[in-house]
Amino acid sequence: MPVRRVLAVIPSHNEEEALPAVIASLREAAARLPWELEAVVVDDGSTDSTASRALSLGVRVVRLCRNLGIGGAMQVGLRMAHRGGFDCAVQVDGDGQHPPGELARLVARLEQDPAPDLVVGSRFRERAGFRSTPMRRLGIRWFSLLLRALCRLRVTDPTSGFRVYGPRALALFDRSFPYDYPEPEALVLAQLSGLRIVEEPVAMLERQGGRSSIRGVLSSSYYVLKVTVAMVLAVGRARLRED
Amino acid sequence: MQQFFERYWVFGGTCLLFALVTLRLIIRERVTLQGTLAFLLLLFGMGLASLFPQADAWIATRMGFTLVSNWFFALCIAALSFLHLLALISISRVELRSIALTQELALLQEKLERALPAVGERP
Repeated sequence: MPVRRVLAVIPSHNEEEALPAVIASLREAAARLPWELEAVVVDDGSTDSTASRALSLGVRVVRLCRNLGIGGAMQVGLRMAHRGGFDCAVQVDGDGQHPPGELARLVARLEQDPAPDLVVGSRFRERAGFRSTPMRRLGIRWFSLLLRALCRLRVTDPTSGFRVYGPRALALFDRSFPYDYPEPEALVLAQLSGLRIVEEPVAMLERQGGRSSIRGVLSSSYYVLKVTVAMVLAVGRARLRED
Repeated sequence: MQQFFERYWVFGGTCLLFALVTLRLIIRERVTLQGTLAFLLLLFGMGLASLFPQADAWIATRMGFTLVSNWFFALCIAALSFLHLLALISISRVELRSIALTQELALLQEKLERALPAVGERP
């Protein structure tokens, strides 16, 4: 049986502090995996030395000449995996929130029959690891309910970026991937495109460096409003395409 | 006519200055003619409307407005909304193209950087 090729996409924006630890633990995890794991850091227009730090650590680096946000950076990684003939891609955030030790659980789900197209790592399926602040959990619960109402998808952690993308998901997101706060909207797109989505419990960590773009009441409210509208519009867009 | 110029020369002069600045921007290619055409047409229309006040009053009455000033007010809001929408469409299109180009450029750059040392073109 051929060895499965996995591309670990590490979208990073000003993550020079956290990146060495992320790559070191990714290498550790890769040594224990039965798959061929390759890592690529997508430097999302960083103003610090994220790209050069990543290069010195010996991983592939794709440098975006301007900041596109997590969605634009992630799409580059997924496109790379799709065009490069990888069997799947996994998102590992450059801020150290996604422990690579959990990769084995996520990728192993792709081997079950029938194989899912998208595996979402959930912080809430098991009570372990960092589970975010109460306010954020409230927002996550809202998106979860909205997903259920809009496209009958039951997911407990729709904002989790710790995901494994199978070949069909790679093909879909190579063509189209939300640019701004993409996680919940990407689930809508995947579900309405007939992809099989499953959740796998994972333990996540607190961010190891840098700072979140969603902080404070204003930016959090904007985030919830923007994502809600985007999810509703994504459903409308899909229905229009069907017609 | 002389009374008209005496009363409105400040306003007319400002409009003329504004038109000249816009034309200069187009000639120096700071803004594209394609993007400014709707704006210029609107200015031309407003200019015509200011030259023929009787026609404005007739249109305002036909449209159900009691005062011509209200008609102009509504017209200006509609025109500005339309221009803003055109600008939004144009900016969004440019933004999406810019994102796609940034992504493709980054992928090609990475491919090139990996390929060059392999063929001995880079130390």
